[in-house]
Amino acid sequence: MPFADLDRAAVARTLTQLVQRPEDFADAYFERLEEVELPPDGEPPGLRVRRQQGFAVRLVREGRTWLASRDDLEPRSFAQALHQVARVLPTAAYPEPRLEVARWPEVPAEPDLLELPSRLQRAIRQRHVAFPLRLTLRRHARDLQVVGTGPAPEPQRERFYSLTAELGWTRWGTLLTELGPPTVERVADSLVELFRARHASPPDTGETTVVLGPAATAVLLHEAVAHALEADVLAQGGDPDAAVGVGMGPEALSVLDDPEAAPVGVRRTSDDEGVPVTRRWLLRQGTVAQPLADSLWAGGSDALSPGAARRAHRHAVPGPRSIHLELPPGETAEDDLISGAGDGMYAAEARAGRLDPLTGAFHLELPFGRRIRGGSLADPIGPFQMSGTVADLLARITAVGAESRPGGAGWCAKGGQKLAVWATTPALCIEGVRIEPVGGTP
Amino acid sequence: MSPRPRDDPAAGAPRWPLSEVLEAMVDQGLEEAEVYVKRGRSRRLETTLHTESSGFHHERGWAVRAGGPRASFFLAGTGDPSPEGPWPAPDGRPLRLPDPVSATSWQEPADFDAPLTGEREGFQLLAAIARELDTELPGTRLLHALLEDGSSESEVRSQRGIHAHWKSRVAALRLTATVPASKLRRTASRRGLGSDRHREPVQATLVLAEREARRFHPQAVARRLADRLVVRAGPPPEIERDRGEVLLAPAVVRRLLGALTPLLVGPRAASRVGRFHDRRGHIGGDLLTLVDDGGLDGGLLTAPVDGEGMPSREVVLVEAGVFRQPLVAWNQVRGLEAVASGCARRASWRDLPVPGPTHLYLAAGSTPVAGLLAEVARGYYFLETTGAPRMDFDGDAFQVPVAGFAVGRGRAAEPVSGVVLQGAVSSLLRNLHGAGRDLTYAPEEAGLLGTPSLLVSGLEVRCARPAGD
Repeated sequence: MPFADLDRAAVARTLTQLVQRPEDFADAYFERLEEVELPPDGEPPGLRVRRQQGFAVRLVREGRTWLASRDDLEPRSFAQALHQVARVLPTAAYPEPRLEVARWPEVPAEPDLLELPSRLQRAIRQRHVAFPLRLTLRRHARDLQVVGTGPAPEPQRERFYSLTAELGWTRWGTLLTELGPPTVERVADSLVELFRARHASPPDTGETTVVLGPAATAVLLHEAVAHALEADVLAQGGDPDAAVGVGMGPEALSVLDDPEAAPVGVRRTSDDEGVPVTRRWLLRQGTVAQPLADSLWAGGSDALSPGAARRAHRHAVPGPRSIHLELPPGETAEDDLISGAGDGMYAAEARAGRLDPLTGAFHLELPFGRRIRGGSLADPIGPFQMSGTVADLLARITAVGAESRPGGAGWCAKGGQKLAVWATTPALCIEGVRIEPVGGTP
Repeated sequence: MSPRPRDDPAAGAPRWPLSEVLEAMVDQGLEEAEVYVKRGRSRRLETTLHTESSGFHHERGWAVRAGGPRASFFLAGTGDPSPEGPWPAPDGRPLRLPDPVSATSWQEPADFDAPLTGEREGFQLLAAIARELDTELPGTRLLHALLEDGSSESEVRSQRGIHAHWKSRVAALRLTATVPASKLRRTASRRGLGSDRHREPVQATLVLAEREARRFHPQAVARRLADRLVVRAGPPPEIERDRGEVLLAPAVVRRLLGALTPLLVGPRAASRVGRFHDRRGHIGGDLLTLVDDGGLDGGLLTAPVDGEGMPSREVVLVEAGVFRQPLVAWNQVRGLEAVASGCARRASWRDLPVPGPTHLYLAAGSTPVAGLLAEVARGYYFLETTGAPRMDFDGDAFQVPVAGFAVGRGRAAEPVSGVVLQGAVSSLLRNLHGAGRDLTYAPEEAGLLGTPSLLVSGLEVRCARPAGD
């Protein structure tokens, strides 16, 4: 833990100098990030290591935020940053706090990382296919410590991997929390499915039943439920408090954000503001229960609670975002969802989603899929998208699968901040949804 | 600040322990080594409907590339590089770094050292834009406004003898606004424009960049954003497909030029562009002249060298429709009839240098935009793209979703959106009938691109959705 020796009490004392009014909120955010990248075979230079550490000091007052950040952990810089955010300079300042952090360790050998490309190629060969594949694999490590004017929470740590595969005809990516044999097999399955669908025609425009696999469901819920229920997004259309109690989906649909139940490696006990996380019901039986909020948005609200703040790095202001979504499983086995879908479509994965918060218009892009004929998976189909309004799409959910699967919901980019998001979700069946082809020759 | 000759690219450089780090690499038996350092300061001011934030950021980072014929590594970090490391073990990939090349003269712009925007000044600018926007298009709300103003200095030194120091200064403005359909209907009716079919709120985003934030003029910025909102509210044309002359605003040409960069950049560009040669050996019309120049006088990202310390220079890629050479860096030029230029950009200190456009521009013409518009008897004037262009070079086809105005007898009639401009890539390159004198630059995914308005024929405009859908 790099911040184990940080003098949190001294930092907290210096922050009290910023707070002048009862509603003021001040904190210091310390972070250490490491990314070890294995580039595609043959691309120099070899192993790429990026290490960064620094801090940010912040003051929040009546909806206004002042932030000063630095790429170092030096007491002098900290004192300067404090002065930059202070509205009134203290007459008798506390001494600069000592910012003792552990030295960077030696760069580890990373055998798991180095061996993964050959293990994956072997797994693909075992499926009797071969295709050109350029893999970029990254290990991400993030340590952070938030100190406010009250008791400081425990330091937080995240460790995970991201993988990008460039195939001759498309790109594919995923987030992983470990690189064990089952993970390699799952990645190989996805890549082979993508390969088999490379020449497949996308489905025609129309309305049909779509069964989304757990990974695709994760992206759908992240884009259509979590983003839609972020306090800052809700505020674009009106008062975020007013969303509580509004019906948004069918009674069978409950969605929550539970960072403490995230996959091992990315579990959190406090958010990026140091506020303890909670098991937050976003939707309970189809009704909005508790939107995602940070301290800024919860500050002047009776209905919102903080604990869902995230920031991509020290130079960014935190904002409300999910960490780990959960959709409680239903009672229908995934095979039964497919057999009940008649002549529909099955999509194991989703590439991206787009929500227009003003109109509620929503698109979910699916990079490949399989046709369902007579209740059985049939021939592959090319890229297509589901579209409609969020309310309409969610209302068309008719069944929830019985088997939940944890995993990455992808990189979420909002407001220029790119964050890894996670989910534990089963499959979903959506009836009468509008689909249309994506891509093809101009 | 006094101009600094380009042949002394490290003059005025701060004291960073670069030589010591290079010596440490030699001690480890690494033949190739390069150290890059960057320091920057930036002001970031952001407003939404309910919040306001002011940030002041100091960035300080470095990157080392080192290795030899068999193995190499890349390590980047915050603070200052330390000769003691720790350094990663080189992995099984060779690394070769460039040899120094003598530079031509370049003068550092005087405004590189101008102070950053103050907090109050910056917020006043954003507030003034919001006010002007409401004047231009009553009822419009500025959903999000972000002003970033930053300066930086960088230095690179390598074991092969490269040593360069340079500065940078950029301000960026990103605005997203929305207007309710009811307000738009009233405005459209007042302006005699037919957008009464629109029912949903319209949203538009504008991104601008200048050397200094003080160069953003609230009224001009607000007008551009208001224009975008108005055209986005336009209905698709009554007919499913249409042809006619098309005037493309710089923002549309820029997106198209960005999508055309595979024909212009990198060692494979020459073979890709080969299929577009006509009998005369031309790939485009006489008005098609494309140039890349990293040291462009007055350019937003102008610098004497690129991210590897290689001198930047002007390279003519296409001249009056004739393809001259692709844009290539020193390590891509082997086997090509081309001159290499310093065009390897580093997006940040964390990133490796990647060859790409520096200031890639399409040469301006001499006609004012109003003159080009007057030449359109029946057609369209497209002001912006509403999605990413798609290019199929093998199939000689492209399409891009756009919004703008229908034009009749040289005058913009009514707003049009929900349409796709499509046709042959070769037509887009050849059928240029006029270029405006309004050459403007803006950052695109491909790099910093500059384009004027263009008058084009031989393209098709089609509704994005089939009729009755």
